[in-house]
Amino acid sequence: MRRPDWAPDDIDIERPSVARMYDYYLGGSHNFAVDRAAAQAMVAAVPEAPLMAQANRAFLRRAVHFLVDAGIRQFLDIGSGIPTVGNVHEIVQQVAPESRVVYVDTDPVAVAHSQEILADNNQATVLQEDLRHPDRILDHPELRRLLNLNEPTAVLIVAVLHFVSDDDRPAELLRTLRDALAPGSWLVLSQASDEGRPETERSDAETVYRRTGSPLWFRDRSELTTLFDGFELVEPGVVWVPQWRPETPESSMNAETSAFLGGVGRIGD
Amino acid sequence: MTSPATANQPSGANSGMAAFTQEWANAITGTSYLPMSQAQLKRLLDRLARELAAALLAEPFDLRAGQRVGTELVAAHIASAEALGRTVEVVQLRLVRDLGLVADDIADRLARLLAAVTTGYTRALRDRTLDEQESIRRAAMAQRTKAERALRASEARFRHQATHDSLTDLPNRNLFTERLATALAKPRRDSDRVGLCFLDLDQFKRVNDQHGHQAGDRVLTEVANRLRQALTGHLVARLGGDAFVILIERTGGTRDVIAVAEAALAAVHEPAVVAGHEVTVRTSIGIVERQVAGTSANELMRAADCTLHWAKAAGGGRWTLYDAERDRQELTRQALTAAIPAGLDRGEFYLDYQPLASLRDGRLLGVEALVRWRHPELGVLRPDQFIGLAEETGLIVPLGGWVLAEACRAAGSWSVTSGTPFVSVNLAVRQVHRPGLVQEVRNILQRSGLPPERLQLEITESAMMSPAEEPVQALRRLADLGVRIAIDDFGTGYSNLAYLRDLPVTELKVAGEFVAGLRAQEPQADERIVASLVSLAHALDLTVTAEGVETAGQAERLRAIGCDAGQGWHFGRPEPADRILARLG
Repeated sequence: MRRPDWAPDDIDIERPSVARMYDYYLGGSHNFAVDRAAAQAMVAAVPEAPLMAQANRAFLRRAVHFLVDAGIRQFLDIGSGIPTVGNVHEIVQQVAPESRVVYVDTDPVAVAHSQEILADNNQATVLQEDLRHPDRILDHPELRRLLNLNEPTAVLIVAVLHFVSDDDRPAELLRTLRDALAPGSWLVLSQASDEGRPETERSDAETVYRRTGSPLWFRDRSELTTLFDGFELVEPGVVWVPQWRPETPESSMNAETSAFLGGVGRIGD
Repeated sequence: MTSPATANQPSGANSGMAAFTQEWANAITGTSYLPMSQAQLKRLLDRLARELAAALLAEPFDLRAGQRVGTELVAAHIASAEALGRTVEVVQLRLVRDLGLVADDIADRLARLLAAVTTGYTRALRDRTLDEQESIRRAAMAQRTKAERALRASEARFRHQATHDSLTDLPNRNLFTERLATALAKPRRDSDRVGLCFLDLDQFKRVNDQHGHQAGDRVLTEVANRLRQALTGHLVARLGGDAFVILIERTGGTRDVIAVAEAALAAVHEPAVVAGHEVTVRTSIGIVERQVAGTSANELMRAADCTLHWAKAAGGGRWTLYDAERDRQELTRQALTAAIPAGLDRGEFYLDYQPLASLRDGRLLGVEALVRWRHPELGVLRPDQFIGLAEETGLIVPLGGWVLAEACRAAGSWSVTSGTPFVSVNLAVRQVHRPGLVQEVRNILQRSGLPPERLQLEITESAMMSPAEEPVQALRRLADLGVRIAIDDFGTGYSNLAYLRDLPVTELKVAGEFVAGLRAQEPQADERIVASLVSLAHALDLTVTAEGVETAGQAERLRAIGCDAGQGWHFGRPEPADRILARLG
């Protein structure tokens, strides 16, 4: 029997969560034994996995700083995961306290945790939704309460798209989001790529993530660039994330080992 | 007392500090995610390096500075085992050298300071780890609680949907059945009684037909709300369509249930406004009330349903109380009806004949065929025990057809020297209205060889009370064949004289109840009625047969009035044809 829409989610924290595994890679302790076991299996398969996650997180930080400097005060972070160190609202509200941030994640524990973190912050909220349902995200009353989509808004989809297969039509999902955004809005994308990685590593990583219920879907530079359709990519375009506006020349060395491609685009006026 | 320590090359200290900070930053980068820029990181490490340097040279030597540095590192998210290891290594190898620190016991102090850094760092990291574990576990618990609450809510919702009617939100048949079963299975006392009111709106179909189904649904919702309000404390359920039921538990007797039914009638019988029209709503209610012990849900439901039909049959807009005796009789009647087709197949029906005699000379003119049923269990049944049922159910058509064919077959074989009698057969209303009657009669006559003028068909006045043309035409064609047409029981129905003028009728049979009043010596009202009927018939050129003639006195008076023929015990009881024929010789 098909479950009706209002039926509750399964209660399942016995399964590794990609959000809590990511927290582990970043050095956090917001994770359970089952998550650590999966993350350790991943590190065994891909020893640089924690560095990849850190590089990606650093990309997020630089991109958000860039957007704040560009005058953006509304952020929609889809696939925000566990609110570990360096959350978007911490970054932006430090610089521009009036900024508003809406987090979205499918992981109910991540959402519950975010709710606790954000309990006293009336400029930031979290909603449980899936990137695969952009209409539901855009129509969500919490989003409508905090964000005025007639004003420029930044949509962050960082380290999430590799959980969205082509069968889910990511281009259409992004088009739906883009169509809801005002001119001058921004899109930040990053995702895992298997460019230049050995085949065994790729298949081992896929095996680990299949157990999480969020299988991996790698994309290359041209595929990710295509997903910026309708946005004008800012320099340096879609690159390995350490190469995106690095703080120091050294920090972008061996950038391809990050295995994450990212870019930032803007809807023209 | 000498100065405890001095930087031997103050001018080189800054470049040394820069080199040390860079080395430290390099060492810890990548050990965990650092939510800060390189510049911010270097500023932090620069400050901490200065604190460490100051502590190494401070008098008195204070280890708390080392602990503070360890704690601050963790607070800045430089918080991993690797970060600590590399920090200890860099400080141990480079701090004293890069900053050119000089003190007598510098090696000892450095070892003790690093121990303090490690202690502070480890303690802070442990606290942080525990905090994070606690917070993620709390989130998981919050999520689980929420999910369980949602599950319970959805289960309650599933349960509600499964047990309630979606239109009216009243309990549905499932819940009602469940509650009734519980009431019957677990009475509080042996003497507990239970009652049911079955409701069905009268002519509800008309609301749907006239105002549409939406309006019909609104009437149902309105009725449901009224019942709910008027009958708090009792289970009111919608069984489907416009049928509702009220369960009354632990009744004190029939009166309690009647009171509920009265309240339900009063609540429902308010007009409802639907689509701007005032719609009259009426309902019928069947009531059953009895002791819980010894009854079953099925019995109760059937009894209530059957009683509801009685209320409907009595005109609706009322309650009716279950009557076991009436129910039993109806069941018997139904069983009897159901047995008619098999009885026909098995040849359980047969005919007796009753003489119709001339009042002028006593001669036998004809015989009326009367059907009997030799029932295998109930014995011989007279027509009044089963013909009514057969007429209600339509079984009269095959049964009447058999009677007609059998009577004709028998009469066709009779041969009497002194004049062979005609045979008179009753035709039910349904038979008269059936297309194909003429052909059926024609076939039967042909098969039996009976001349048409020796067949008389008796029809009741009500058979002619239809506006349809076909029955009249059929009778005309039968009369044209030569078949005699008699009106049975004349004077007890509508006695519409118009059809006597238009129809090819040959005879009137005057109902026995008029004849019964002919006993008295003095002419009474009945005698005058019969006399009038006779003269009316004669004026129309019809013959008259009086039914129910029981005495010679009655026969005498009828003869005096001028009545043509008589039928009744005085002339002979119904009996097999051969006995009648034998007497004629």
